[in-house]
Amino acid sequence: MIAAIDLKKYFGPVAAVNGVTFTAKDGEVTGLLGPNGAGKTTTLRMLYGVMRPDAGTIEVDHVDATKHPRDAQARLGVLPDIAGLYPRLTAREQVRYYGELHGIDTAALEERTNELLKTLDLMHVAERRSAGYSHGERTKVAIARALVHEPQNIILDEPTNGLDVMSTRAVRTIIKRLRAEGRCVLFSSHVMQEVSALCDSIVVIAGGKVVAHGTPDELRAKAGYDSLEDAFVALAGSGDPR
Amino acid sequence: MTIQEHSPRGWRWARQVRVVLRKELVDSFRDKRALSSILLSILVGPLITGFMMNRIADRQKEADDVRIPIVGARNAPALVQWLAQQSGVVVATGPTDPEQAVREQSEYVVLVVPPDYADDFRSSRPAGIKVVADSARSDTRAQVERVQALLQQYNAEIGALRLIGRGVSPAAATPLKIQGVEVSTTQQRAAKLLSVIPLMVLLAAFTGAMQLATDATAGERERGSLEALLVNPVPRGALALGKVTASALAGMLAVMVTAGLCTALLRFIPLQELGMRFRFGTPHMVGLMAAALPMCLLTASVQSCVATLAKSFKEAQTYMGILILAPMLVGVMGTLYPIDHQPWMYGVPLLGQYILLTSVLGGYAPGPLAFAAAAATCVVCAGLMLRATVALLNDERIVFGR
Repeated sequence: MIAAIDLKKYFGPVAAVNGVTFTAKDGEVTGLLGPNGAGKTTTLRMLYGVMRPDAGTIEVDHVDATKHPRDAQARLGVLPDIAGLYPRLTAREQVRYYGELHGIDTAALEERTNELLKTLDLMHVAERRSAGYSHGERTKVAIARALVHEPQNIILDEPTNGLDVMSTRAVRTIIKRLRAEGRCVLFSSHVMQEVSALCDSIVVIAGGKVVAHGTPDELRAKAGYDSLEDAFVALAGSGDPR
Repeated sequence: MTIQEHSPRGWRWARQVRVVLRKELVDSFRDKRALSSILLSILVGPLITGFMMNRIADRQKEADDVRIPIVGARNAPALVQWLAQQSGVVVATGPTDPEQAVREQSEYVVLVVPPDYADDFRSSRPAGIKVVADSARSDTRAQVERVQALLQQYNAEIGALRLIGRGVSPAAATPLKIQGVEVSTTQQRAAKLLSVIPLMVLLAAFTGAMQLATDATAGERERGSLEALLVNPVPRGALALGKVTASALAGMLAVMVTAGLCTALLRFIPLQELGMRFRFGTPHMVGLMAAALPMCLLTASVQSCVATLAKSFKEAQTYMGILILAPMLVGVMGTLYPIDHQPWMYGVPLLGQYILLTSVLGGYAPGPLAFAAAAATCVVCAGLMLRATVALLNDERIVFGR
């Protein structure tokens, strides 16, 4: 479970995130939906502990992340906004590196790495250096290393951005599997179909504020539109001061 | 309770440092281009020095081993025989046109004995003899000087014999007793080249660590892998220490290779022919390492800190180029102005190491206290730089490049 309570973040005079509150529950996929510059990435960065909020509280499985950031991070698996790989390491080594940083012992790590590489269909690049990977392969390796320690909570920042149809499907399959395992999945997107297809709960964010929170049906009803896309435009527009 | 909670945490910290360290070493040792450029920069210095030392030694030897072509050797058989008996002298038949031969550089020097030499010599008149040489050529000066010295010696010997034959003590004809104090230029040059070794060891500490320090910090951010790395539950201190240790090890490796290479070259160079009594053994090597290795911690941590501060990989490389001026400055100053060793100097990073290295090579190593003081300042300064790096990694503006 991930809870954000009245999060605020300022860059100079600009309030990038201005009072965001929501909860992402276990066994659910929560979508963070919003236009570019709405504050999605900044919100997520605070949740996964690489940015400090100027105000507000973060709880990850009831651990106060602002007070114990490393303990909270240990319960998180993250595909960050920028998820670069090490070009001279193989897929296996990248996954292993993160597993070792989490302190997983060697035998268990070997097994877990193999399992992840198989699940994500990465066996053919397992022993190849990542310099020549396709965009899809890179994203999948980044997801694999985020999941190596079997985190209860998973945060994915625009996981399907720039992926082809096959890779997008693979990512969706993983998200569904993680939900089936009872994990808490929080992902951001600006792609409507994806959110409506996957999410149990949607948080619409615009201008650094949560403008709506609910199931896809609830949001449609709230905005008074049949299509989620129209609802989104209406909701996002209402949160924008301009 | 607190101790129980504390000890596994410290243990985990140490393990994370080791994980980061190993990854950085593996990663950078696969960077073939960076590796070869480091190797080149490490090898070039010692090789050039070794080559030059060898040239100087050779030339000194060449001056001692001189070949004297003589035109008209038949006119002065006694002189020719005397010359041939001198050590390292080979007498040869002179070319038909001596001046042309010297001008064309086919001969260094040619002796020309005119036909009336024998008559003049026999009747005790100064007998003419020509030394054909090209004074514009500096590379043959040693040979020409040797030939002239030999002739002077012959002159003096014959003169003395003639005086004795006339019942006069040769001492009467020697009003001055000239003692030459040999300050050979070749020896000076060789000594100066030896003093380049400490500079090269200092430089190796910088060039060896440079690539890894930039790649693990500025490179990590530029590739976009830093944000993902910081998501792991690893204290920033463990990350920074792992990275700094990795580059320090690379620097140490470079220092060991440089020192090893320099000393190996010293074995091949005929130093004794340069009049230098230099014996390099294990104690010297231990001294060099004791002086230089602790400094690698400092150079690596300074480089890592500066590279973390840089906005891009390119900018970091520019800063590395500026940082390397520091050891150069110390080395050049040390070579140009021989430093009067003061105890406080051991406490100044780089300067302390430079003095220790020169002392060890000069064969008068200071006590262990000086080594300890120099090492301690390096470790303390490295710790401060590490803290600064951790502060930078905690700064969002640095991590996200705002």
